[in-house]
Amino acid sequence: MTEPRENLLEADFELGFTYTRSPGVIIGKFLAALQQQQIYGIRANDGTVLFPPTEYDPRTAESLHDFVPLTDLGRLLYWTWIDQPRDHHQISQPFAFAMIQLDGADVPFLHRMFADSAEHLSVGMAVKVQWAEQRRGAITDIHGFVTAEGEQS
Amino acid sequence: MSNHRVAICGIGQTERYRTKLTCSLAGLVREAALNALADAGCDWSDIDALIIGKAPDMFEGVVMPEAYLAEALGGVNKPVIRVHTAGSVGGSTAIVAANHIKSGLFKRVLTVAFEKQSESNAHWALSPSMPFRPHFNSGAGGMFAPVIREYMRRSGAPEDAGCYVAVKDRVHALNNPHAHLHLPDIDLDTVKNSPMLWEPTRFLESCPSSDGACAMVLAAESHADTSAHKPAWVHAMAMRSEPSFYPWREEVNPEASRACAKDLYAQAGITKPREELDLAEVYVPFSWFEPIWLESLGFAESGQGWRLTLEGATSRDQGGDIPWNCSGGVLSSNPIGASGMIRFAEAALQVRGMANKRQVDGAKRALGHAYGGHSQFFAMWIVGAEKP
Repeated sequence: MTEPRENLLEADFELGFTYTRSPGVIIGKFLAALQQQQIYGIRANDGTVLFPPTEYDPRTAESLHDFVPLTDLGRLLYWTWIDQPRDHHQISQPFAFAMIQLDGADVPFLHRMFADSAEHLSVGMAVKVQWAEQRRGAITDIHGFVTAEGEQS
Repeated sequence: MSNHRVAICGIGQTERYRTKLTCSLAGLVREAALNALADAGCDWSDIDALIIGKAPDMFEGVVMPEAYLAEALGGVNKPVIRVHTAGSVGGSTAIVAANHIKSGLFKRVLTVAFEKQSESNAHWALSPSMPFRPHFNSGAGGMFAPVIREYMRRSGAPEDAGCYVAVKDRVHALNNPHAHLHLPDIDLDTVKNSPMLWEPTRFLESCPSSDGACAMVLAAESHADTSAHKPAWVHAMAMRSEPSFYPWREEVNPEASRACAKDLYAQAGITKPREELDLAEVYVPFSWFEPIWLESLGFAESGQGWRLTLEGATSRDQGGDIPWNCSGGVLSSNPIGASGMIRFAEAALQVRGMANKRQVDGAKRALGHAYGGHSQFFAMWIVGAEKP
């Protein structure tokens, strides 16, 4: 049985405020470099290279400072293919949510992978960054990844 | 509950409580945490649990910041707990942390409280426009102005008594390198001539908007000897709450405030706080809350609190017998979520003899106090140089 809705009041309520964000010197340098199409990882205490960089070592909590320049090339590790993107995917063509490990980094990260179809993807395939046309110092300056098979990796 | 002694053996603060655009939220919190660990002679691996406090998430727009702060605070693979009691949260966070030692559950906890007001606007966050009700847009200052007016009416205090507090705490702040405001030229005329914001509260009778964090390492007696300095000891602690609004609520001298102080003094065996305590760090974000709390906390008879202020009893610089807010208080630095913990930590620094230029000579026992919400959340502790 549905509840009767007459006599029940409701009102639109939109709550918003323009906050400021200070990413700090480590994340700030990483983001500013993306705007220049430069990619940095950061070296953790145990020598592994983290991408994207973290301010503090996830295991030991020590401050991290040792930036490691990386290229725009990497490997596709695993993915979920989105065959019929919906509005909230903010992209109209089919794509994959993919875990990608940049060459020189020791951990993968989540981003978008573009291909004509899922059949074009394979574990370990070479991929490269597709840069956003408008870059503003954000992780979305990397628009996504495309195949780099056949190119030197 | 077991009743283990609780030692405060490490205290860390942000170098200065002012706008920090060059550091992230995590960096801000971490600075205080590292300073506390250094004071305690400990590192991350010595800490059993992490107790974090901050004011409402809407103040910075970061939802559940404790989740993202775990790695910056060495919280990986440890219990991380968030405490939330509005402006009193820095105090209640310290109490929650202390109870984890008192109960015997942990040997050493790191407790941290913070706010980065430069990233937001607390006035907005406290006064959003909501459906089905008028938009008062009052902020904290507007909320408390009628309470202050009522105090003035009842007590017959002179109109400028609040200005004395505003000057006194800013003069105190000159001795505190951490204080946000350093106003060396402040005097009564400067305060009186500053703009009226929420009558009767003027601009210079109000706290600033600050960035900062405060941290403490609390330890069981068996683990209290790692610092190069002697610890402070928790002698008593209490928290009380009451609703925001109800018709018979006593807003000038809230029931929860009186009950909290009564419980606290009973635990510490104190009957005359003005005589038995050496100093107090009390949450005074608007000048008139010094006389208001002097009375509610039993330092003065009802209606007489303002006389202590005018006589200089609460001024360290004037040699008062019961200095209040030698650090400069909330009137000189207000990173909201941290402000209560700063009060608790400054009280502990004093009884450790580590307050440098703001030290009260020979301080043995001190009160740390915080309140929040609509004067509805209270957290207090008494710390001492000797074991309880």
